[in-house]
Amino acid sequence: MRTLTHLLKYHALSVTFLLSACTQTTVEPVAVLPDLVGDVVLNQAIQPPNEDLLLDIGVLIFTTRNEQQHSYEIGDWVFDEIIQKETQFLPSLLKNTLTTSNQWGAVRVIPEHDPSLDLFIHGEILQSNGKSLQLQIRATDSSNREWINKIYTDQSLAEDYPESTRFTLDGTFDAANFADPFQDIYEQIANDLVTVRSSLESQALIDLNLVTDMRYASDLSPDTFTDTLQEGKNGLLSIDSLPALNDPMLARVADMKHRHYLFIDTVDEYYQTLYDDVQPAYVLWRRYSAEQISELETSREERNPSGHGNSNNFLSLSQRYDRYKWSKIFKNEFNDLAVGFNNELAPAILELNSQVHSLTGTMEQQYRQWRGILRQLFELENNTSGKK
Amino acid sequence: MSKISKSTAISHCLFAALLLVLNSPVLSQDSLPQLDLNLPLRMDFSGSWEKDFNRSDNWQDELSRTLRIRQETAARQQSSSGSTRVRPHSTPPIPIGNTNLPQSRGRGANIVDLARLAEYISRHNTIKITQVREEVRIERQGEAALVCGTEHNLQQTFASEHGIETCAWDGQQLIFQIMLPGDLTISHRFTVSSDNQVLNLLTSVYSRNREAFNLIQAFNRYQAPAAEFNCVQTLSRGKVCNQSGNDLSTILDK
Repeated sequence: MRTLTHLLKYHALSVTFLLSACTQTTVEPVAVLPDLVGDVVLNQAIQPPNEDLLLDIGVLIFTTRNEQQHSYEIGDWVFDEIIQKETQFLPSLLKNTLTTSNQWGAVRVIPEHDPSLDLFIHGEILQSNGKSLQLQIRATDSSNREWINKIYTDQSLAEDYPESTRFTLDGTFDAANFADPFQDIYEQIANDLVTVRSSLESQALIDLNLVTDMRYASDLSPDTFTDTLQEGKNGLLSIDSLPALNDPMLARVADMKHRHYLFIDTVDEYYQTLYDDVQPAYVLWRRYSAEQISELETSREERNPSGHGNSNNFLSLSQRYDRYKWSKIFKNEFNDLAVGFNNELAPAILELNSQVHSLTGTMEQQYRQWRGILRQLFELENNTSGKK
Repeated sequence: MSKISKSTAISHCLFAALLLVLNSPVLSQDSLPQLDLNLPLRMDFSGSWEKDFNRSDNWQDELSRTLRIRQETAARQQSSSGSTRVRPHSTPPIPIGNTNLPQSRGRGANIVDLARLAEYISRHNTIKITQVREEVRIERQGEAALVCGTEHNLQQTFASEHGIETCAWDGQQLIFQIMLPGDLTISHRFTVSSDNQVLNLLTSVYSRNREAFNLIQAFNRYQAPAAEFNCVQTLSRGKVCNQSGNDLSTILDK
């Protein structure tokens, strides 16, 4: 006992701090959220913009913020694992919304920054559960101009999870008619991007396309094309000089770009397939998560601060014990569901990482390998044509 | 052969045998598990355990005994007036500071109600314990599992507005402590015998950190039938199982 007493004294201060933090942020933090995006109507174009004004967008795989603000209990790792998986498939929802808006060129989900695209969207998941979603979105174009850097927050309602999202043995989930509970966030991001684009002159958009072309060319052959771009004092890239239109190198760059597009289209398709595969389980998971948070909120509202009563008779004591027991059983079941969700996703993630044949590693690694191959190919073709 | 040369020969033989053992494929580096030296070695609690009613406390008998001791102590104190007040012996709960749980006003619960609560939370007749190097998991029928890591430090294993659960090791004894609103504390102290055949569980219930009611239960190891199925939890299909020994990844792909 002496050892334990010594140990306990040693940890007393830190544990006191941890416990006071935990009782306030148990299970899922229900923090006060900043302004919600509210009901949003997507700004859809009847006709897409002219081709020279079209911008291609890359939605990068989201990231998460590493925060140690909450104390961790045994089993909490499973929720981190879920958020890590969300970083892989939530971008598909934003991509689909941007595509539906009909305001842009090709929109793809990509694992890394890609010099062949005009506009990049990077999202960071700040909070994600069935009840609320909070994303930090930053959009920059190929000239380094920042379009958006903003936090978007949305909360779901009970009606966002229709009866079809309830688990049934025959699987009644209707993906085609299901709207994501946080669709407003993606629509607000899409609308904000259109607002920024509208504030730019047409010439600025044409120039942006040229900057992208030269950035891609520089990525393939830095020695040849780096001088075509200059960086201003504000850090923005602009065209300094352009090669002649009939320059054969430009034709080869265009050829490489075409092949590259085929590759990133394939990568994007895999991310979309991943989302399609996991969507039924993911929606189910979010529904459970929302129900659990609502349950917690209700129990907090109903709880009298001295709800245990001042009575210390057996009935009161056993009720206190039962409340603790059931809250723990409930949380454990939720953890089990989270584990079940991760188990169900594992084959889909594995498939995503093993899809691009002859390239190995994760999708990010395969993407890097592909860009290396293209560079070598470009160099090889240039050398061959030079000898001719 | 002289005495010295005999002992030298024996030591050479032993050395050769040792070399042979060390070089044997059984102990080759590939087959040795990685041992995390930061984790202390713990007694093996794993197994299926069933209550031994003969060796376990009967809560009513234990309550009568506690009340009798109280009366005797009170009588002794009255007869030896002026002597220092002697409190009955009980192990105090683990102090873990401010928990933010609602406090109780007035006097704590009486010993009869504490005894009834101790009986109420000790009704399970079997316990299943699984143990790996990193953690011990104790499952009791109708209760949430008690899970504790094997490391040295005090660990918080659950927290909600309804209660806070911590666990710690006291030597080779495993202790879980549950603090409930109104200064009610429950502790479970698990001890396993050196021959791994008997598991003792001391449940103590405290009100306002005063005298505890203690209930000891003994459990004997028994051979539970081996699980016929190998299961994995999924979200949309619930528990997916196949027969033990088969690869579960194949059913997840379906």
